[in-house]
Amino acid sequence: MSGFHPSCVLYFKQEKAVKKSVKRNIAIGAVIGILAGAAIVIYLFNMPQRDVQATKTDFSLAASTVVNEYLSNADSANEKYLQEDGDSKILAVKGQIYSITEDLKHQKVILLKDSAEKAGVSCTFTSETNAHVSSLLPGETVTIKGVIRSGAGYDEDLDLYENVIMEKCDIIK
Amino acid sequence: MKKSAAVLFAIATLAFKPVPSKLVSSDAHISFFSHTPLEDISSNNYKVVSTLEKQTGEVVFSVPMQSFEFEKALMQQHFNSKDFLNTKKYPKAKFIGKISNLSEINFSKNGTYQANATGELTIKDVTKPVTAKGTLTILNGKVTLNTKMKMTLADYKITFSKGKPSTNVAKEIELTTLANYIEQN
Repeated sequence: MSGFHPSCVLYFKQEKAVKKSVKRNIAIGAVIGILAGAAIVIYLFNMPQRDVQATKTDFSLAASTVVNEYLSNADSANEKYLQEDGDSKILAVKGQIYSITEDLKHQKVILLKDSAEKAGVSCTFTSETNAHVSSLLPGETVTIKGVIRSGAGYDEDLDLYENVIMEKCDIIK
Repeated sequence: MKKSAAVLFAIATLAFKPVPSKLVSSDAHISFFSHTPLEDISSNNYKVVSTLEKQTGEVVFSVPMQSFEFEKALMQQHFNSKDFLNTKKYPKAKFIGKISNLSEINFSKNGTYQANATGELTIKDVTKPVTAKGTLTILNGKVTLNTKMKMTLADYKITFSKGKPSTNVAKEIELTTLANYIEQN
């Protein structure tokens, strides 16, 4: 037993080297994986709210169309317009201004509604878009883009017709 | 003779014309606050519709759930999701109640009155009795209602069994409401 043949020794050395580099690659891979995972978690956790105005419009329609869809079948309208994660459909709604008011957050609220109709579309602006409302008057026809939050319907407890609610609105025409 | 009949008719019409007694708030504000040692979470909703019937003391709040806004988008998505508030299936929450000490409130006299309300709160498909204490402020015909109440999430089958929500969301949260009412026209 004078030892291994020289070629065998070389083989073992090579195998050792291969094992070492595999281990190193696994370690590097694991570190990259952990960093990427952490980055995704941090990103998701701090993800900003969706920019409604910068997002593609899902439906362009008349205010009376969406209101009537809700009045005739609220369930199917909810199915069509609401999303499970709360990032619901983005609508561009055309209608006549019935009133312009302000909510408790000092956001402008335009109600699009024909005086003959039971319910309309209530559009809430933001601190960034409030200024675009200042030149408008009731009676004018405008197109407003925003995200739908809830539908229209008669509520027997309120004894009132509730409007479709849109938020994060801006005038687009 | 004709004249007196006309006067009589006018008096009768005035007497039987219902006095408008219903107040409406179309953009009321509800916020909630959850405190744990790990995190404070708050959310605001400015799109609440409320009515207050002066004669009977009936108070109704209709709350569009997707209008609750959070600082973080992920929290808002969790809030709306099937596992928690399921807002696509249940887009609105509702409180129907009555002011129990209505006789102590004079809607035609400026002042701040304590208002106690008892009623039922419906969130998702769960309805529970609740009582709330608030103040009604009357100033030159303007009526403002402020209330504050605690709410146990598990009562409404809102439970968090794992992950961040289970440690970072309080079991009991505080609800604050503010509504400015105007006469319904």
